Amino acid sequence: MTAACREACCSVTPHFTVAELFERGFRRNRMAPFAIEGEAVRDAEGNSARFSLELDGGKLGEVRFRVSACTTLIAYCEALTELLPGLDTGLAAHFTPSELVDALPGVPRLKQPRAILAVAAFRAALLAARAQSHDPRNLSWPGLSRPSTS
Amino acid sequence: MKVAYIFATSRHTVSYVLGKMILPQLEENRHGVDVAGMFFFEDNNYVLVKGNPIGARLHKVAKEKGILLMGCDQCCYEREIADILFEGVPIGCFPDLYKVLSGNMPDQVITL
Repeated sequence: MTAACREACCSVTPHFTVAELFERGFRRNRMAPFAIEGEAVRDAEGNSARFSLELDGGKLGEVRFRVSACTTLIAYCEALTELLPGLDTGLAAHFTPSELVDALPGVPRLKQPRAILAVAAFRAALLAARAQSHDPRNLSWPGLSRPSTS
Repeated sequence: MKVAYIFATSRHTVSYVLGKMILPQLEENRHGVDVAGMFFFEDNNYVLVKGNPIGARLHKVAKEKGILLMGCDQCCYEREIADILFEGVPIGCFPDLYKVLSGNMPDQVITL
């Protein structure tokens, strides 16, 4: 069984396209952050991203973000918030920028590095969650680091 | 004098003003001013899609004369054309436009 197509060619909504992720992300970008909030991460072009999240046991709960007003960056961040909640934190922690690029077709190559910033900021929030946890062993992801945004 | 064009309205902006006035004048070196760049909003971005005949001529003359062509990123994403523009034509928003134009500053910005 394959997942339903969520691109603009099909009637399954909500669509998983850059334009529609941006629309939803634009609203999420204005929501108050959750208590677990990562460091803000910046790239060389002056864009910044900061994620906050809720945990549900060992699984990722709802995710929010505050990012620069860049269409591509907002769409990538919104894609993370729609793809990852409900996953085991270990799986979510190892979601890579290239997987994010592959998950969201239609972004020109010049703008794809925004995925690195989005994933770096998301991982920063997971690292904040681990730092705040009463039992960090439950949030252990060997080898996890933030991808370089420089 | 050096100008930048912002194609903000639809109707005949691209097919007529660009395609039948500005572009032929640029091709014939008689436009009267240097053009630093052109930025496209809304449906005007379709001229930047690979294969568009006006766009092909524009892309050629822009490469010859060092004219920046840039599409509005939100407009291109909405139309699902962001990744099928002519080679080397970027998408962006105002910060991207200003950043590029700051290296080739126009004296006037003409909104069409």
